[in-house]
Amino acid sequence: MTMSAGTPFNFLDQDLLLLPQKAIYWHQQNALILTDVHFGKVGHFRKAGIAIPRNMEQDDLAMLSDLVYEHKPEKLIFLGDLFHSDMNNDWDWFVLWRSQFPQLEIILIKGNHDIIADEHYTTLGVILYKKLVMGPFVMLHHPLADTTQAHAEGYVLCGHIHPGVHMVGRGRQSITLPCFAFAQNQAILPSFGRFTGRVAIVSRKTDHVFGVLKDRVIAIA
Amino acid sequence: MNNKGPKVIQEWYKRKQWKQFPFQKEMEATYLAGYSGLLNAPTGSGKTYALFLPFLADYINRYPDTYLSRQNNGLLMLWITPLRALTNDIRKAMQEACDELGLPWRVMTRTGDTSAAEKAALKRKLPEVLLTTPESLHLMLAQKEYPKVFKNLQVVVCDEWHELLGTKRGVQVELGLSKLKVLSRLQLSESSEQLDTESQKPKVKNKKAAELIPANQLQIANNRLRIWGISATIGNLEQAAEVLLGNDFPPEQIKMVRANIQKRLEIESVIPPNIESYSWAGHIGVKLLPQVMELVAKSKTTLIFTNTRSQAEIWYHAIIDNYPEYAGIMAMHHGSLDNELRNWVEAALHAEALKVVVCTSSLDLGVDFRPVDTVVQVGSPKGVARFMQRAGRSGHHPGAISKAYYVPTHSLELLEGAALKQAIQNGIFESRDPMLLTFDVLIQYMVTLAVSDGFTADELFKEIKSTFAFADLRREEYNQLLDFIVSGGKTLAQYDEFLKVELENGVFKVNNRRVAMRHRLSIGTITSELSIRVSWLSGGSLGTLEEGFISKLKPGNTFWFAGRSLEFVKIKDMTAYVKKSKATKGLIPSWAGGRMPLSSQLSAVFREKLDEVAHGIERDIEVKSLKPLFDLQAKLSHLPQSHEFLIESFKSKEGHHLLFYPFEGRLVHEGMASLLAYRIAKIKPASFSIAMNDYGFELLADEDIPIEEALEDVAFFSIDNLIADIQSSLNANEMARRRFRDIAHIGGLVFTGYPGAQVKNKHLQASTSLLFEVFNEYEPDNLLVRQAYNEALAFQLEEFRLRMALQRIQTQSIVLKTIERPTPFAFPIMVDSLGRERLTTETMEERIARMARNYSVDDDNLPAEKRSSKRKPGITRKKGF
Repeated sequence: MTMSAGTPFNFLDQDLLLLPQKAIYWHQQNALILTDVHFGKVGHFRKAGIAIPRNMEQDDLAMLSDLVYEHKPEKLIFLGDLFHSDMNNDWDWFVLWRSQFPQLEIILIKGNHDIIADEHYTTLGVILYKKLVMGPFVMLHHPLADTTQAHAEGYVLCGHIHPGVHMVGRGRQSITLPCFAFAQNQAILPSFGRFTGRVAIVSRKTDHVFGVLKDRVIAIA
Repeated sequence: MNNKGPKVIQEWYKRKQWKQFPFQKEMEATYLAGYSGLLNAPTGSGKTYALFLPFLADYINRYPDTYLSRQNNGLLMLWITPLRALTNDIRKAMQEACDELGLPWRVMTRTGDTSAAEKAALKRKLPEVLLTTPESLHLMLAQKEYPKVFKNLQVVVCDEWHELLGTKRGVQVELGLSKLKVLSRLQLSESSEQLDTESQKPKVKNKKAAELIPANQLQIANNRLRIWGISATIGNLEQAAEVLLGNDFPPEQIKMVRANIQKRLEIESVIPPNIESYSWAGHIGVKLLPQVMELVAKSKTTLIFTNTRSQAEIWYHAIIDNYPEYAGIMAMHHGSLDNELRNWVEAALHAEALKVVVCTSSLDLGVDFRPVDTVVQVGSPKGVARFMQRAGRSGHHPGAISKAYYVPTHSLELLEGAALKQAIQNGIFESRDPMLLTFDVLIQYMVTLAVSDGFTADELFKEIKSTFAFADLRREEYNQLLDFIVSGGKTLAQYDEFLKVELENGVFKVNNRRVAMRHRLSIGTITSELSIRVSWLSGGSLGTLEEGFISKLKPGNTFWFAGRSLEFVKIKDMTAYVKKSKATKGLIPSWAGGRMPLSSQLSAVFREKLDEVAHGIERDIEVKSLKPLFDLQAKLSHLPQSHEFLIESFKSKEGHHLLFYPFEGRLVHEGMASLLAYRIAKIKPASFSIAMNDYGFELLADEDIPIEEALEDVAFFSIDNLIADIQSSLNANEMARRRFRDIAHIGGLVFTGYPGAQVKNKHLQASTSLLFEVFNEYEPDNLLVRQAYNEALAFQLEEFRLRMALQRIQTQSIVLKTIERPTPFAFPIMVDSLGRERLTTETMEERIARMARNYSVDDDNLPAEKRSSKRKPGITRKKGF
C-alpha cells in the first residue's frame, strides 16, 4: 500500500488534499475526485490485435483500492473517461472491484470516451451526470472555453486534457510533469490512468499549478 | 542451345542506332548462362536495358518460333524499385522495347498509387513484367493464393539496391525474396514431377506442358529463379550481393558485373567572398545566392540539391524574391510535393523548359535529365557516395564533363569541400551496413503471411533463417514473436480477448477481417509522422505536410509550400485547405527526419585536412580561403594537430560550457557526450544539456563542471564499461524511445488510421512514447523494446564508430583551453539548438527547485526544432483523448 503524503490546498474555503496518485481528497464532502482513468483501454487495444501488456490495468485498480482504504471516502467522483470506448471483458474486473466497496457512492460525469450503455453503470449503482454542482464546484468532463467560464454555476473541476506543466531551467534544462492546474475559473485534474498520455498546458502567472512527482505533489511557482 | 535471343536484341540495338556498352554485353552473357548477382552501375548509365534486354533474349531463346505470338505468359519478371516515382519512366522504356521487338507483352506497375480497380485487373490478368516497391511486394504476399501470382516468375530485379540496403525496407526485400525463392523451388519440383509422370505416359495431353519439357530437361539450373540487384558504387558491394541473395543461394551461381564507367567529374567549392564576415554557423547557405545564380546563368540547366525539404523551400523562395526573372523557368522538387507536380517538373526538365530546379534527394535517383549540365550541392552532402551520385546527375552527353559545385552553409563547412575532393581522388566510398534482426519487420511479415494463406512455424523459421538479416535468429526469439502475435505477449490473465493471429491445426492464420484490413493498411506506412494533405479550396492537391506543423497554424496564417505563398483556411478530414496569398512573408514548414551524420570516411579525410591546416600546409583553395578563421581559432584557443585532442572551457550567464572536438559526426558525438557527462556526473551530480554538430559537442551545466578532476582519471575516455555507462545515462532510454517510434508502427502496435476513417479508430491511438514507457515497465524483455535499445546503440550512437573514436582519443594528448568567448569551432555547435539532449543524475526535486515554470508551454513530445516555438495562450490538446 502506498502512503500518500498529499499536499493540502485550501481553496474557496474548502480543504483539498492533492494526492500524488493523481486524485483530490475533498475533506468537507468526504469525497475522492479523479478523472480520465481510461479503464478498459488495454483490453480495447488487445481486442484489436495490439499487444499492450495486461498487468498495467490491475495496477490502476489496485491504486484506486489503496486510495479508498486510506482515505475512506463516502463518495468517489470520476470526472469522465472512466471506461475507454466499446465494451470489453476488462469491464468484469471493474465489476469485481466495485463489489469490494458496495457502500461507496460512485458518481461519473460522462466523458467523450464513456460510450458504453448507461445500464452497465446503473446496475453497479454508479450515478451518471453530465454536470454536477457540489458546494462551490461544478463538476464537468470537458474544460470550458474562456468565454463561457463566466456563466458557469461555480468553479469548474474537470479533466479530459491530461494536463502537464512544462518547466525550464538554466543550462537549457526542461521537464514536463503531470499537474493539477487551478486557473481563475476552473481547475483541470491530471489523468489517473497509466495508459494515458499527457499534454502540456498553458497557464497564466496567477494560476496555481501543482506538479505530480512519484510520491508527492509540489506547488510550482 | 538456341541463340536467337541475342541476335534479335542486336538487331534492335542496330535499328535504334545505339551501341551496346561492354558491360551490357557482359551482363547479357552472364544472364543467359543462368547466373544471379549484382550489377554495379551508376544511375543513368543504361542499367535498365542492361538487365531488361538479356531477360528478353532469354525468353526469345526459350520460344524462338512463337515469341511473337505467345500471350498470357503469367508474371515473368518482378522489378523492385525504392521509389514509386521511378516506376513510370522505367515502365515506359520497357514497354517501348517490347513493342518494338514485337512482343505482345504488358509491362505494368503496382505501387501505393495503383487504384483498387487496377489492382483487381492485375490479379485477373497478370502482366509479363511488373514494377513495384518493397511495400507493394508485401501487399501482394498478403493476398490470398499469392503463390499463383508468382508461378511463372523467372527473375526478380532489385533496382537501386544501395538505397534499400541498410534500411528496413531492404529487410522487407530480403524477406520477400526468401518467400519467392521457396515458391520457385516448389514450382521446380512440381514441374519435374510432372515431367516424370508425363514421360511415363506415351501421349502428351497438354501442348503448353510439352513446350516446357525441353527447357526443363536441358538445364534445371537455368530455370531457378534468378535474382539480380543493381547498385551504384558503395564500399561493400560484395556484401550487398550476399544480403540480396541470402544464405541459401549456391555461390557458384553468383556473379558480379561492373560497369566501370569512368565519368569525368569536376568539383569546385563556392568560396564566400569575405570569409571573416561569412556566417560562423547555420545550415541554409542562402548568403551565397548571388554566386550560385552566376553559375546558374552560365549553365544550360542546373540542379540545386539541398539536404532538407525546408531548405529547398527557402532557397526557392529566395531565388523568386531576388531573381524574379526566373519565374516560369524554375521549379522545385521534393518528396512532400504532390506526384503530379513532381511529374510535371520531371517532364519539363526533359523538355529543356527549365533553367534551374531546387531539389532534395528526391531527384537523386531516376532516369537521366539530359539537359542538366551543372549540379550545385548546398551544405555538406555528409558522404562521398551521396555527393558522387548527385554530381553524376549532370553531363550525360557522351564525353561530357560532370560539373558539381559545393556551397558551404557556414565557414568551417568550407573545409569539407577540400575533404570531399580529396576523398573522391582517393577513390573512397562509404559502406551501407545491412540491418540485422529487425523484429518489427519480421512481425509485420509474419502477420502478412497469416493474413493471406497462413504459415506453419517450422517451415517459416527455415525460410527466415535463409535471409542475411535473420541468419542469427534464435528459435526462442522466434517463439516469442509467435507468442506475441497469437496471445499478445506474456499473459495468463483470464478474460483476455487479444485477437490477431490464430493457430489452427498448426497453421498460423488471421481470420478476423478487421484485423486483416488494418494490417494491410499499415504495411505501406513505414513513416511515423501523420501527414496532412494540402489542397486548394477550389480543389487540387499540392502535397503533404506534417500534422505538427499544421496544428500550429491558425486560419489566416500564411506559409510557404511548393514554392507558393499560401493562406491557411481550414482543416477537415486530414486535409488542410489553402488559398493563394499575396503576403511575401510566411512560415516555412519543417519536416521531421534526422539529419545525416558526416560519414566516417569523410570525417577521417576531414581530420587529415585539419591536420594539414595545423601544420600550415595550404594546398587547397578552401584551406587558403579559411586562413583568417583558422588564425582566429589559433589565437583564441588552439588548432589541434592529429595527435592532439582539443577541449575548450568557458563560462557564461547560461552556465559552464565544455566543448570537445572529436570530428566524428554528430551521432558519435551524441553518444560520447552522454557518456562523458555521465562519467563527470559520477564525480559530482549535475544536469547537463548537450549540443553537437559534425565536428564536436558541447556539455553545458548550470554549475561548475569539475573537468580537470575528470581528466585526471585515465578511464575518462576509456571503452571499458562503455555499454553499461551508456545504458545508465538517461540518454540511452531517450534514444531507444525515439527508435521505438518506427518500431511500434512497423511492428503493428500503432494504428494511424487512414483518411476518412471513422472516429472510433481514434480510440485506438496511443503515442509511441507512451507505449514505450508501458512496455519498458511491464515487459522489458519484449523483443521490440530490446530492438529499440539495440538500434539506439547501433544507429543512433553508432557504437562501433564511438569505440574507434574513443580508442583514437586515448592515444592523443589532451589540450584543455580556457577561452574568453566562443571560438570559430565552438560557435556553430553552441547556436545549433536543434537536437539538444539532456542528461541528469540529480533527483527530480533538486532539479525542479531550480527551474522556473514556463508560461508559454508546449508539448514535450515535439521534436526539438519545434520546441522553441511559442504558442499563444489557450489550451493545447492532443487528438484522441
